[in-house]
Amino acid sequence: MASDLLSIGKSGARVARAALEVTSNNIANASTEGYVRRSVAVSEVANGVSLTTPSAINLSGARITGIVRNADTFRQSEVRRTGSDAARAAAEVQGLENVEAALDQTGVYDSIVSFEGSLKQLLSDPTDGSLRAQVAEDGRTLAQTFNTAAQSLTSAAKGLQFEAQDGVDQINTTAGELARVNLRLMRSTDSSSDQSALLDQRDTLLQKLSGQADITTTINPDKTVSVMLGGPTGSALVSGASANTLAMSTAANGTLNFTVNSQAVTLSSGAIAGKAQALVELSNARTALDGIAASIASTINTAQASGVDLQGNAGQPLFSGNGAASLKMVASGGSAIATAPAGAAANSRDVANLTAMRSAFDGADPAGQMDTLLFTVSSAVAGRTVTRDALDTIASSAKVSLQSQAGVNLDDEAVNLMRYQQAYQASARVMQVASDLFDSILGIR
Amino acid sequence: MSSITTSTGAFFERSRSDIKSLSSQAETLQSQLSSGNKLDRSSDNPVAASRLRALARMDSLSKIDTANAERANADLTLAGGTMSDMADAIIRAKELATQAASSTLTGDQRSAIAAELDQLHNSMFALSNARDSNGHALFGGEAAGDAYQLDATGKAQYVGTAQVDDLPLGEGQSVTRSMTGPQFLSFTGKNGSATDVMATVQALSDALKSGTGTVAATGAATDALTDLQTGLDTLTTAQTVVGSRLNWIELTTDRRTDLSELRSTEQADIGGADLATTMTRLQETLTVLEASQASFTKLSSLSLFDQLR
Repeated sequence: MASDLLSIGKSGARVARAALEVTSNNIANASTEGYVRRSVAVSEVANGVSLTTPSAINLSGARITGIVRNADTFRQSEVRRTGSDAARAAAEVQGLENVEAALDQTGVYDSIVSFEGSLKQLLSDPTDGSLRAQVAEDGRTLAQTFNTAAQSLTSAAKGLQFEAQDGVDQINTTAGELARVNLRLMRSTDSSSDQSALLDQRDTLLQKLSGQADITTTINPDKTVSVMLGGPTGSALVSGASANTLAMSTAANGTLNFTVNSQAVTLSSGAIAGKAQALVELSNARTALDGIAASIASTINTAQASGVDLQGNAGQPLFSGNGAASLKMVASGGSAIATAPAGAAANSRDVANLTAMRSAFDGADPAGQMDTLLFTVSSAVAGRTVTRDALDTIASSAKVSLQSQAGVNLDDEAVNLMRYQQAYQASARVMQVASDLFDSILGIR
Repeated sequence: MSSITTSTGAFFERSRSDIKSLSSQAETLQSQLSSGNKLDRSSDNPVAASRLRALARMDSLSKIDTANAERANADLTLAGGTMSDMADAIIRAKELATQAASSTLTGDQRSAIAAELDQLHNSMFALSNARDSNGHALFGGEAAGDAYQLDATGKAQYVGTAQVDDLPLGEGQSVTRSMTGPQFLSFTGKNGSATDVMATVQALSDALKSGTGTVAATGAATDALTDLQTGLDTLTTAQTVVGSRLNWIELTTDRRTDLSELRSTEQADIGGADLATTMTRLQETLTVLEASQASFTKLSSLSLFDQLR
């Protein structure tokens, strides 16, 4: 087949038109999340040389061989990996900040110091009703701030568990969608614009998954993806068109456990993992807080038992409960404080038992323990914040690096628009020339 | 074609995050300025926050030390004043004893002296039961009621506790806030037995009233004179003790003030936002923020679409 100027022009115009369409699609999707810049792959139509006429000119123009999706799978997997780490760190810091707020801003430390101070002041006049009342009221405040802190911890834990459950639900929904995308990818034609859109969808879903948990992905030859949860040796979440279900269970101390198809899985990154880690820290903080509350109650109650109150009766416990949530002031009033040693008469100004109580309180050092707890939590927040910021920077630079390669640059598209417009006009011109040539042959007289 | 390009989306994303971080920095600095505190929450600087907590605790306990010191100061001042009154009474008793020791007095005159001595005894008894700033017996130790009570024979008996408890003044220091009656009223008499000023005065009064004769009366008066002098000496010594305790309180108060100043300085150093530095940093941040906003506006308005026709 010899070359045909008109059909060459037609193929050129068609290619230029397709390129213009792709370019305008790129412009339209310049700020679409997960959109990867497309370009048109064009190749020459080679007819081969006919054996009978080896010297004949055989030119047939150009054709579109496919839509190229300018995505770098390495950069994409980097974005997923670093994004997963950053999401974990952010979730953990957020959870720890709640723990810090629960312990710090409820004023537990201040209330311990006030109680300590009012015990000290009672030394100056142990029979003074107002000083006794102050000890009792400061004790009540102490118990209440412990209760508030425990409640804040509980609600922080509830929030984290709720968010983690939401994350698990999202993972299951996303995994289901991914399985459907896989199914459609198996059926789609190679390099078609339909496939490109599906691939965009696939990558967006993968990124969504990686934000919640650590996933390992394998891209199969048919462009479908297999997803493993919890590292390369973890459990399969999505393989082909089927998706497994991730389930979450909450232990008695508030920490989380995850299973895929009732097989335990350990998550090391992603927002859910961060929340699980924060819950472990929260549970530790609660244990420490309970310990401090219990030590205050037992120290004061033991000291009470070895003295007599204002009426000369044997001292009764001031506090009930053995944890931060259950700590309660049970004394009816200031007169219940056993300042005098056993055997002393009513209204005794002997402060021997109060002195013993104070030294036992100093020995138990609840203020010091509370300070240590606050320091542990706040330095954990400070340290994790540094880690989070570093991981955030890494994740955002990975994102920018993927974006600069796969994202749409409007200046480039403007140039392409002009280039393909010119190519289209030139191809049209070719057809015009072909028509003129034909006319000139017809015009021979 | 390989070239370094930025996608439009990446450009906007980066500008957004830069401007956001700059304005959040400016906001942090602004809140430091308005609160005067460098630390908003403990995690901003855990070590400093822990130190600040310790300082705040010392501060609040130190306030109680101050209250205790003021209480001890009031009690000791009251004790000092009462002791002076007591000393005046003893001196008057000595004068009366000197008069009574004279052999020229008649029995009636001795009776008159005895009557005045009885009055002195009563006022001494009242003074020894003086109340402290809380309404408790000033010289009764930790007794719940009076320090002295009259027994069946009209003799003043000490019923308080053996000692006065200490009040803590902070830094491990403490002060005894008063004295017990026997500590400044009791002494060993001329005849070698333990006695006290009130008993001496009463004994003299009894001896003068008994009217057994001039020799016995003058003898008793001379003995009482010696004992009263010993009592006065004991009382003076006790006054010195009270004075030195007051000095001690003043000393610890000065020390507490110094320490509290040191603490405030440390608190300001650790937790306070330095006005000049913070203002400068805020200005710097705002300048950079303005510049990046301006450059963002310029860059984002650059579009090839506007240029190509």
